[in-house]
Amino acid sequence: MKRVFVVLMLAVSLVVLAACGSDEQFDLENETEFVVGLEAAYAPFNWSTPTDNDFTYPLHAQNGVYVDGYDVVIAQQIADELGLTLVVKAIEWDGLILALLAGEIDMIIAGMSPTAERAETVAFSDEYFRSEQVMVVATDGDYADATSLADFNGARVVAQLGTLQDALIAQLTGATRLEPLDTYGMLATAVSTNAADAFIAELPVAQGMVASNSNLTIIQFTEGNGFVVSDEDVAVAVALRQEDINLLEAVNGVLASISIEQRNAIMQAALNRQPNA
Amino acid sequence: MMILASLPPKDEFLSTMWYLVETYSSFFIRGVVITLLLSVVGTAGGFILSLFLTVLRTQEIDQRRDRLGSRIIKRIGRGFAKTYITVFRGTPMIVQAMIFYYGISPLRLSWWTPLVAGLTVVTLNTTAYIAEVIRSGINGIDKGQMEAARSLGFSRRDAMFLIVFPQAIKHSLPSIANEFIVNLKDTAVLSVIGVFDLFRATSSATSSNFRIVEGFFIAAIIYLILTYITGKVVQKLDVLLEKKEVKANA
Repeated sequence: MKRVFVVLMLAVSLVVLAACGSDEQFDLENETEFVVGLEAAYAPFNWSTPTDNDFTYPLHAQNGVYVDGYDVVIAQQIADELGLTLVVKAIEWDGLILALLAGEIDMIIAGMSPTAERAETVAFSDEYFRSEQVMVVATDGDYADATSLADFNGARVVAQLGTLQDALIAQLTGATRLEPLDTYGMLATAVSTNAADAFIAELPVAQGMVASNSNLTIIQFTEGNGFVVSDEDVAVAVALRQEDINLLEAVNGVLASISIEQRNAIMQAALNRQPNA
Repeated sequence: MMILASLPPKDEFLSTMWYLVETYSSFFIRGVVITLLLSVVGTAGGFILSLFLTVLRTQEIDQRRDRLGSRIIKRIGRGFAKTYITVFRGTPMIVQAMIFYYGISPLRLSWWTPLVAGLTVVTLNTTAYIAEVIRSGINGIDKGQMEAARSLGFSRRDAMFLIVFPQAIKHSLPSIANEFIVNLKDTAVLSVIGVFDLFRATSSATSSNFRIVEGFFIAAIIYLILTYITGKVVQKLDVLLEKKEVKANA
């Protein structure tokens, strides 16, 4: 038993040692490519498709699988402006920051909000999209007519694991927080099948879901009646390793060149490419 | 480019399934290929590695004849095999996948892809299970066989390799084939590190339409077909081995 313990400890320390990695900055002059990590399951920001077209980009080491969405368009613009080749890897949401720190990827462009908690371990660019937090409920359910946070008293509310939305459930007085799920697809299914009453989502994500699932509907709150969120919580930003200061500046330069109108147009186009029913 | 059928309304279960199959056939095919690859490589590789592990584990230390050096080497070998089996059987494969994939990623090896990591993990994991299967196969062989062989002048090693192992492995074959079926299903956990197996293929196919239940209903049918067919093959193998045994005894 003792021996097992020693081997386990060895394995753990090896992993920790390896995770410390190098402190060298991303070399903008000599690197030819940069690796972007995203979920490929967070439409309209990013999703998977078998279709190869102008908007989609092939996933790394996965023949025949492409990613589409707002994040992919932004990643391609960054690649074009910096003269780098884009490599896109699909990684589970709760593994993204781990992969970034491990050097598996160079950037997270995955509709991630630059929360203070995340900013302790990674660096965030300026925001590249801004929206509001809404609730998604069943069209024929008890909460379809809700207009304020207080109306969700008694509701079972679910969110994605490791997200801002999961933390926001605490603002719904009297609501029950369910164990968080892995993907937004599961959230939509939970509400569709009455396993949950509602989930919290960013507006464009909710819009895409409602467009393909007519049994779901969006509850948007009027000014002052919605969630209390800090400024960075309603925005999404690119996450980088804290030592990659050059890369961060370069990315901010590219993002600054994309106007709010252009951003909204790119998002609307992404929503239109999602299937409707 | 072919024109894709449009997504059916939410409550049309069967036509949604059909839409998913049609639109994402390439995902499902790729998922099946990867799941089969993981199971075949995992089971075959696990079988080969488990033989080494079994050899290490079944070494007997002869207090009178073995020199100190070989006694120590044998002891280390046995300890390694035992620890290996305890660790790999005692931790979930999903945990092993996380540790291996992200533990080795910082070395920035270009060939260390999720698929390679997945193949490694399923192989190492299966090794531990098959080693246990072979060990019980060895235990099932009458001690008298070893004693008889020794009295006929076989060395312990020869008796092990020529008489005990071949029989033990033969008896273990059905259980090893069973490991293959287990792998077909259990490799679904490797999607957590981004292996594009049937599970992840299904998640991907529902990533923009959110029809999860319909998608995983398709996955269930495919998994069932795969395990049903391999189950039948294993049954045939059982019968075949039985026949040979009867012949040999006659």
